[in-house]
Amino acid sequence: MKKRLSYFIIFPIIPAVVIAGAVLFSEKMYAWISLCVVFLSCIPFFLAFEKRETSVRRLVLIAAMTALSVIGRIIFTPLPGFKPVTAFVVLTAMYFGPQAGFMTGALSAVISNFYFGQGPWTPFQMFSWGIIGFIAGLLSGQLKKNKVILCIYAVFSGVMYSMLMDIWTVLWADGYFNISRYLMAVVSAVQFTIIYAVSNVVFLLLFSKPIGKMLDRIKEKYNL
Amino acid sequence: MKNYNPFVLMFYFLAVVIISAFSENPVLQISALLGGILFCAIVTKSSETAGNIGFYVPMFFIIAVTNPLFSHNGATPLFFLNGNPVTLEAFVYGGAIAVMAIGVMLWCKCYSEIMTTDKFLYIFGKTVPKLSLVLSMALKFIPMYKQQTRRVSRAQKAMGLYSSKSVTDKIRSHARVFMAMVSWSLENSIETSSSMKARGYGLKGRTNFALFKFGADDLILLAVIVILLGVTVFGIITGETRFYYYPRISTLKFSAAYIAFGFFSLLPFIIEAKEAIKWRYYVSKI
Amino acid sequence: MEILRVENLTFYYPNAENPAVDGITLSVNSGEFIVVCGESGCGKTTLLKLMKKELSPVGKKSGSIYYNGILQENLDLKTSASEIGYVMQNPDSQTVTDKVWHELAFGLENLGVPSDIIRRKVGDMASYFGIQNWFRKNTSELSGGQKQLLNLASVMVMQPKILILDEPTSRLDPIASSDFTATLQKLNRELGLTIILVEHNLEEVFALADKVLLMDKGKALFFDRPENIADIKTEHPLLLGLPSAVRIYNALDIKDDCPLTVREGKDFLERHFKPKDEILPEYVHSETISVELKNVWFRYEKDLPDILRGTSLKVYSGEFYCILGGNGAGKTTALNVISGLDKAYRGKVLINGRQIKEYKGNSLYRHLLAFLPQDPQTVFIKDSVKGDLTEILEAMEIPKRIREEKISAIAEKTGIVHLLSKHPYDLSGGEQQKCALAKILLSEPKILLLDEPTKGLDACYKQVLKEILSKLKQEGITIITVTHDLEFAAENADRCALFFDGEILSADIPEKFFSENSFYTTHANRMARGLWKYAVTVGQVVMKAKEN
Repeated sequence: MKKRLSYFIIFPIIPAVVIAGAVLFSEKMYAWISLCVVFLSCIPFFLAFEKRETSVRRLVLIAAMTALSVIGRIIFTPLPGFKPVTAFVVLTAMYFGPQAGFMTGALSAVISNFYFGQGPWTPFQMFSWGIIGFIAGLLSGQLKKNKVILCIYAVFSGVMYSMLMDIWTVLWADGYFNISRYLMAVVSAVQFTIIYAVSNVVFLLLFSKPIGKMLDRIKEKYNL
Repeated sequence: MKNYNPFVLMFYFLAVVIISAFSENPVLQISALLGGILFCAIVTKSSETAGNIGFYVPMFFIIAVTNPLFSHNGATPLFFLNGNPVTLEAFVYGGAIAVMAIGVMLWCKCYSEIMTTDKFLYIFGKTVPKLSLVLSMALKFIPMYKQQTRRVSRAQKAMGLYSSKSVTDKIRSHARVFMAMVSWSLENSIETSSSMKARGYGLKGRTNFALFKFGADDLILLAVIVILLGVTVFGIITGETRFYYYPRISTLKFSAAYIAFGFFSLLPFIIEAKEAIKWRYYVSKI
Repeated sequence: MEILRVENLTFYYPNAENPAVDGITLSVNSGEFIVVCGESGCGKTTLLKLMKKELSPVGKKSGSIYYNGILQENLDLKTSASEIGYVMQNPDSQTVTDKVWHELAFGLENLGVPSDIIRRKVGDMASYFGIQNWFRKNTSELSGGQKQLLNLASVMVMQPKILILDEPTSRLDPIASSDFTATLQKLNRELGLTIILVEHNLEEVFALADKVLLMDKGKALFFDRPENIADIKTEHPLLLGLPSAVRIYNALDIKDDCPLTVREGKDFLERHFKPKDEILPEYVHSETISVELKNVWFRYEKDLPDILRGTSLKVYSGEFYCILGGNGAGKTTALNVISGLDKAYRGKVLINGRQIKEYKGNSLYRHLLAFLPQDPQTVFIKDSVKGDLTEILEAMEIPKRIREEKISAIAEKTGIVHLLSKHPYDLSGGEQQKCALAKILLSEPKILLLDEPTKGLDACYKQVLKEILSKLKQEGITIITVTHDLEFAAENADRCALFFDGEILSADIPEKFFSENSFYTTHANRMARGLWKYAVTVGQVVMKAKEN
């Protein structure tokens, strides 16, 4: 009930802020709107997390997985695009559900940007990684059972991440959403998309068994 | 500047960045860029200055030049390149984007210097306390895990299990150490949760403590910010600051918003400079 | 006034045949300092956790616990959280937040205390504990001792009536550990705080205790005043952990009061025995040098100070060599340089007569040199002990068919046969130490480097380790260890060396080494030096007394 309430509070605010911004910045309206939508759509997840009873152990494990994914991103700084962040987000989601997945994704973005630099792209990364985690949580059953589905999801999440970030690039540079320009951006970023997808597949295949085993062990040992 | 209440600081940063990023008025953007440069000069170490100039100046030109090469809008062609017109408007627009982009980047840099994690957590802690606690824990874990990674890799090296013969060996060795660290961190997280439970985490009515206060200084700064911002936003809403690049560059009309925003983006510099002068004065008296 | 009562408490973990806690009854009065000791796995941690409602493990429990006359089940959660404080072993993992000030406030936040009151209480606590200088630091920047002090302070800020501590000093070096114990004593004396402390190093805390609880296999063997400990006449390995004075008293069977401290022990010995001149035993060693440092200089970074400043040392083949010295003196760094982990920027490091840099790739670590790091957990990579042991054999390219054989041989030698199938993290500290030792021994080293091997070990495990090491020595392995544990060095070393200011100052047999130091010497020697100059271990003192 409370969860629903928070949605009701959020939904009128989104259009209100968007309209206010659109009036103020008519030229860059779309960039503004997208930034707001992305940021505000994280809020219901945060509020739901805030309201729901989470056991202390899960809370600490979410923090630990977030820290691990940030460290992964730091370790792999020399290889642009080749990052284990998505893998950790998906794994958390698979073992602790969609909400934990969203949190790990969004928080990883915020925290790693303390090291890499915050900017208007932060909300976009928060949302992208968050939603990748959320969907992975919804599909956790299939992802755990079937390696092929896991790989497909790894590729999908790489492509989705790249395409979501491209929206921002186009809006930021042009101020409006031009489909041909967007396609150009998608095409020009294709090598990154491929690196994302490949790194996701590699890390998920590499991590899913051993880390899955560790998480199962923890879950069993401390009955979570 | 960094000793003001984080909420005031956050509000200020957001306002500057949003206005300079989303309005297309060159006066507003240039004053934001100027404010950003001056602020950056104060908050970053003087040893970094050369590196920053070496990074941002070329960056500025790259951004400025790419636009006219790709965008052929505009009514005043300067010359033709491969049969496409390169227009004056596109050149100017490219410059404007560069001013805006560099300005925003500089402000984000200042933000990172000023809004340290504890300030960020304070803001989050007031609005979403549970999330902020998770953030705080993650921030505590990161250096701890880094240290553990180092320990493990040294222990493995001394057992001759950490090989660096080839690239694949190296990657495999890294991966082994990383996995050991993951396992260690998950096991250790249980003790953290016990310590939290032992200290009553999960009881009803949790409060949030922070070192930051909202004092008279903060109130004054906030008032100044709100007034200057109000004048600026009024100017934007009424269309006084409206500006176009295409098809033809429009002319600038005078607006009070320019003066207000000029002061607004120079605020940190003014505050810092004032304190520096005062400091010197006191030192000279001693 | 009685503050805590445990009545006939028995506890079974799920699927366990034997109880972890078996019919324990005890009563603790307000303001008492209770020391709990026992072999690891004797159920002391379980007992402590049962006393703290929030940490009660899952399992079958019978009997009851009363706090201030209230049955634990009926105890209000808020009261339980604030009035029963609990401090754990690991200084790192029990810290929750990233800032010192936030850590101090964490408990009060949970209790719902308003901000301005938190501010005052935190300030009060930080001044009492001397935290004000690092109040705004990140928790990750603190030293181990500071971290554990912070953990104590952040429990104390909630104003507990009882403080329960589970081996809080086992991960600390002796100096930090003494400081911590002194702080506990201060809390007990100045604030009248009730303290229940599990500790394996009893040398210091034994005399502080009002009562000592000795546990064995879940049962209470002894719960009485410390001086009455001599009443239990058993040959239990636990008694090895008692203070030197008590052990000497126990071994001598003289009708007198049981001494607890060095002062009492000294008086006791001087009352009953006469001084006697002694001849120093002769030391014979092999002539081959297995490790040699010649004027070695080392620093971590270019602009940091030197840690090794012209260090020179010679270790003969088959020798047990102990490097002793204060905290942060660079002992561990010296070991790291010998092991090849850190590279000296000046001077020579010779291993078996060859320069260390001539050993290419991993050849130094195959059949030659092995290094046991301070934290045994860093040795494990796999999810079972056996997996870890197999891994090193794979790396050594040992054929599959003899792997089993090698593993069972080493498991036999180190006494870990029953642990092979377990997960390394499910083991106790002592067991982890043994398994880590087994793993590094599989590389069949001639030289064994040990960094603080007794840190966190109880008396029984120290004894076990001693036996394993003496077996290795008999096989001709050279052992170099860095330690703070003077008793361990006195009992085991052939030669001891003092490391100070980046240099090895002197290296001598323990009898000479300790008898010439006035401060840096064993408890047994402090008590007996007036009578028998060269008696440095409890065993030697007892022997001399019996001869007398």
